[in-house]
Amino acid sequence: MKMVDPHIHMTSRTTDDYEAMRDAGIAVVVEPAFWQGQPRTHVGTFEDYFLSLIGWERFRARQFGIRHFCTIGLNPKEANNADVAEGVMDLLPRYLEKDGVVAVGEIGYDDQTPVEERYFGEQIELARAHDLPVLIHTPHRDKKKGTERSLALVRECRFPEERVLIDHNTEETLPLVLDTGCWAGHSIYPHTKMDEDRMVALVKAYGAARIIINSAADWGVSDPLKVPKTARLMRDAGIPEAQIETIVWHNPIAFFGQSGRLDIDTPAPVDQRQLWEGNSVLRGQNPVIEA
Amino acid sequence: MEAALSEHPHPEPVLRILDALLTRRAPDAWARLQALDFGAAYAGTGRRCPGPAPFTVEETEVLMRAGVAAPNTWTLADAARTALLLRRLADHPAETHPSVLRHLYRTGDAGERIALLRALPLLPMPERFADIAIEACRTHVQDVFEALACDNAYPAACLADAPFNQMVLKALFTGVPLARIHGLGQRRNADLARMAAAYASERRAAGRPVPDDLALALEDAAP
Repeated sequence: MKMVDPHIHMTSRTTDDYEAMRDAGIAVVVEPAFWQGQPRTHVGTFEDYFLSLIGWERFRARQFGIRHFCTIGLNPKEANNADVAEGVMDLLPRYLEKDGVVAVGEIGYDDQTPVEERYFGEQIELARAHDLPVLIHTPHRDKKKGTERSLALVRECRFPEERVLIDHNTEETLPLVLDTGCWAGHSIYPHTKMDEDRMVALVKAYGAARIIINSAADWGVSDPLKVPKTARLMRDAGIPEAQIETIVWHNPIAFFGQSGRLDIDTPAPVDQRQLWEGNSVLRGQNPVIEA
Repeated sequence: MEAALSEHPHPEPVLRILDALLTRRAPDAWARLQALDFGAAYAGTGRRCPGPAPFTVEETEVLMRAGVAAPNTWTLADAARTALLLRRLADHPAETHPSVLRHLYRTGDAGERIALLRALPLLPMPERFADIAIEACRTHVQDVFEALACDNAYPAACLADAPFNQMVLKALFTGVPLARIHGLGQRRNADLARMAAAYASERRAAGRPVPDDLALALEDAAP
């Protein structure tokens, strides 16, 4: 079964992960722009990061047969950095026009400060202007309140809810999201946040409609195979194949496809023969060539 | 027909051809792109102009005479981006061109960079943009490297020996067939031959195969 990991920070991951993901059936990834573990101190650092998402990382993924798309935005944490926030906002109109940018994100709340709210609202407006859907990060502290405020802001901005993906849901936030027209993402982690067993329980309770799962794998302890692992557990738990396929393929494709930029229909075949040792992802291994 | 870099390429015939192609293949998208501001248009061309650029035989001949070695490798997005860029440069004073190009390259995704590199031979006084070509040779994104190194008259026409030689070496060790390096025959030199021979020696010492076409980089190869 082909799968999407619609929220994964591949910049932090090695080629071992790409190989394992490919072998496990992941064909498409969406990498959201987020923070990198410590605050950036220059607007230029954001710009180079955006460029790496649309340039090098996209190429790196393709060498393993994986189609890579990204979201671009000013993340909630760094929205609080007065040094850089305005400068990053000034970059967005240019970078939101790039092919392969499939949403504005990750935006939302972190500490739920007024300045976070300001940039959250401004980026919802940018999404409207650039005809893109929105990927919303819900805070890990005071999550229920943060989710309620996020849904309220979307409503206040009169932004179409079917073009909103609220991510990192829990047992408490999922019903709130499903009460609206928004989509609900879940990040499956080894020890923290949501896990596979609880996800299976949620799917049994709520079904597959508007449900999306991801690994949100990043620089920390996380697992880029959580989507296939959760799919397997769902299967073992007797969830119908069609529902699993909806969750791991049709839903993320439909959501990000709303951007009009999710070009997955013409996959470039992998030809690692073009890459050799030195300046490529291969270092003397035998190249993989697909006809 | 060997393409040569025109001494003073005139944009008009090329622009007419590109406009004709785009109007045939993607009239609505082309109209939309021309209405957007340049940055947004150049960025958003890929998704609006998918597919190949099917130039006619006559159009192909004009493009080759203007310095495009292999018009049949161009995509529709390459054609659109080139047209947008030629217009932009025509509308702005010559002294701004290097900074316009540098900014466009630096802030471009792979598709934008590829189009820019393919268009280099067509730009006014293109030798001014050699530093961008040299930067492109450093990329790890193989498609971007090949947009300059392969089927492109620019390197042989406008790069000095040192950067040209580095490009050829990189083609060798990334598995790019040397036959695709336009004008290699005219640009062979002693340093390149030495570097290529040294690469062959390094491969043999490692027990690894030497590329079949390495001889094309050596001075005694047939032109």
